Amino acid sequence: MMTPQSKQTPQSKQTSQNRQTPQNRQPILQVKGIRKTYHLGRVKVPVLHGVDMTVRHKEWITILGASGSGKSTLMHIIGGLDRPDKYPEDPASIVYGDRVITDMGAAALNAYRSTEVGFVFQFYHLLPELDILQNICIGSMIRYGRFGYRSKRKGVEARAKELLDRFGLSDRIKHRPAELSGGERQRVAIARALINEPAILLADEPTGNLDLKTGESILDVLAELRESGGLTMVMVTHDERIAARADRVIRLIDGRVVEQTGVGSV
Amino acid sequence: MPILAMLAVMLSVATILITWSVMGGFLKTLVNSGRSLIGDVTVSWPNVGFAYYDELIVMLEDDEMIDGATPIIETFGLIQLPDDRIELVTIKGIDPVSYDRVTNYTDTIWWKPIDEPTAKDRDGSDVRLDPQFTGAMAMFESNAVTLTRLNPESGQTERAGVLGVEVTGLNIRTEDGIYDPRANGFRALPDGRIERVPGFMPAGGSVGLTVLSLDSTGKPVDPVTRTIPIANEFQSGIYEIDKSTIFVPLEIMQEMLRLNEARKVQLVENPFATEVDPVTGLRRPKMSEVVGIDPARVTTVLVRSVDGAELQEVRDRVYQIYQDFEAKHHGEVPSSFSMENQIRTWEDLNATMINAVKKETGLVLFIFGIVSFTSVFLVLAIFWSMISEKTKDIGILRALGASTTGVAWLWIRYGTAIGLIGATMGTAAGYAVVININAIHDWIGRTFNLVIWDPRTYYFIEIPSEVDPDKAIIVFIVGVLTCVLGSLIPAFRSARMDPVKALRFE
Ligand SMILES: Nc1ncnc2c1ncn2[C@@H]1O[C@H](COP(=O)(O)OP(=O)(O)O)[C@@H](O)[C@H]1O
Ligand SMILES: [Mg+2]
Repeated sequence: MMTPQSKQTPQSKQTSQNRQTPQNRQPILQVKGIRKTYHLGRVKVPVLHGVDMTVRHKEWITILGASGSGKSTLMHIIGGLDRPDKYPEDPASIVYGDRVITDMGAAALNAYRSTEVGFVFQFYHLLPELDILQNICIGSMIRYGRFGYRSKRKGVEARAKELLDRFGLSDRIKHRPAELSGGERQRVAIARALINEPAILLADEPTGNLDLKTGESILDVLAELRESGGLTMVMVTHDERIAARADRVIRLIDGRVVEQTGVGSV
Repeated sequence: MPILAMLAVMLSVATILITWSVMGGFLKTLVNSGRSLIGDVTVSWPNVGFAYYDELIVMLEDDEMIDGATPIIETFGLIQLPDDRIELVTIKGIDPVSYDRVTNYTDTIWWKPIDEPTAKDRDGSDVRLDPQFTGAMAMFESNAVTLTRLNPESGQTERAGVLGVEVTGLNIRTEDGIYDPRANGFRALPDGRIERVPGFMPAGGSVGLTVLSLDSTGKPVDPVTRTIPIANEFQSGIYEIDKSTIFVPLEIMQEMLRLNEARKVQLVENPFATEVDPVTGLRRPKMSEVVGIDPARVTTVLVRSVDGAELQEVRDRVYQIYQDFEAKHHGEVPSSFSMENQIRTWEDLNATMINAVKKETGLVLFIFGIVSFTSVFLVLAIFWSMISEKTKDIGILRALGASTTGVAWLWIRYGTAIGLIGATMGTAAGYAVVININAIHDWIGRTFNLVIWDPRTYYFIEIPSEVDPDKAIIVFIVGVLTCVLGSLIPAFRSARMDPVKALRFE
């Protein structure tokens, strides 16, 4: 049910032939020369100064950087929620499979966010008025539209329940987010991110708001997802210990990427 | 917050519906009562009146467009009430049988036996219901229909009048919408004592009526006073009329105004002129000579058309018939030319009042419309702040792939839903208030000692309490639109929001 391979994503072509180390796999996301400067009135706040990175299929990458180093900014740009600055003489690009995200129009970007990537945030960002099940299914409602969703509803809800079951939340279906603990909320947020079976999970400090133990359990969930489903994950953190669980760690310093080799996984 | 927006829509919908229904109902009642009191078309030649009206009526009633016609004399006079108060009244000399064919005269008669309490009389305290008085009420009713009353002292049947129910001030209108007659009125005597006078007019009461009689040229000359026994009282529902109108038999008015049939005489100019008495053959002072008969006259003929006839067509038909009539009595009745403007529909006659009320309705609606338009801004402000509150959620939805239009639609749909609920509640509330408006008004009157609907200013004793479905639908739709309109700008704002900023929003 959860396998991203079942989808027509770029990775489905070679998952079978490539069962070696993640570093040898095909790239799924290629980021080149991303720059971003915020403007506070007249004051320019340069954040990213040309970020280059490559994410491979089924790879778990962690972006490690100090607070305020632009990690969230980078995630938003990768996730198609924000756009990089444009410098015609030095064009930036994000290529996802064979598609150029940075050249996409608004509608294509909406579809990309809806079906190809799943977001997980530090502060969970669940919708307080909806119960857990609705919070998870909302991604599908957005994807199929109100009317399209009607015919899909049964399947989507079954999948949502399956995810909740897996995350040990099946008895919380009718609860509101406010009635859940931080760890539980984050698991709901992960379920929501997975409802449309995305190829990539973008997690922005998913444990940043949790205590160490709960944070570990969230990381266990993520690790398990990657093991069983072959999900590609890009995670952001400022915590070295958390970064250590990933296949590969990228350091973001002064708006540039300093790549490191894998920290002894696989 | 959304409940506030709903309340704003509900209140504006309810106020507009109430105002429109009451004012519209007011206009409708005005128009209807105008028609039921004076028929469809009037032919009138004020003061002096016109002759041969019987012939005109026969000619009119021969036409298939015309249901009936009746002669009346309309004039003003002074009425002397049992407590010696003197008031100015409109006097209508009528022929009750034909008058009833043209107007709803018998429906307006108040003192008559009734089987069921009137709409507002919940405890059935109406004296007309009392079996003890059924006989008396039946007698009063037949007296009103014939305009007569038996004089118990002389044992003779006298011609009598019917008073507006509010004229004497001795019938107390209760909250139940009925009249509670006082047994006695009081009259001050010169020596300082107080004398009781009969309070219930149909049982032995009478009034003095003074008018100015007319000379042969129609000029008012001498005051003439008569005592008129009162047979009954009537209620038209229009306060002005009920407060200052009396019906009396047509012949009485003709006599008092000298509009009745009279011999025309040649007056002798020379006081010394003589003539030969044909009987004795002797000379004697010349006597004035009867040269003809002056026929009886009335000031007005009221015409009722058959149902469904076009008012203006009826008026034109009446004018045509008058022209034929004038051809027969050339020189004896007002010319067709002068009558052109004197043959009018009830709408023309009441035009000033109807137009005034129409304008007033328009003005009040306009003001309330503007007041309600502010609810658009209210909804706008409420939605604006709701959207500010939900900034983060909007960011979340965008992160999950929602499009800008999708987000905007969400709010517009929300606005529509709130508008639908608010407008439904407002329409229901407005409807409930309108149909119970008299009870509510009475309750306010009792509790706060306030009279908002004073019959003296608003003509009608009852506040109109009907809701026109068309108006309800229009007001409902406007209410929904108000909310949709109010949510539109905030919806676009939510769509234009930068999703990243929205997500970072705390
Ligand atoms: N909309 C904005 N306007 C101006 N500065 C911003 C804006 N958003 C982020 N920044 C700044 O950009 C820098 C990077 O922010 P962010 O990407 O959130 O960093 P991180 O996620 O690594 O903590 C910070 O210094 C932050 O203050
Ligand atoms: Mg951050």
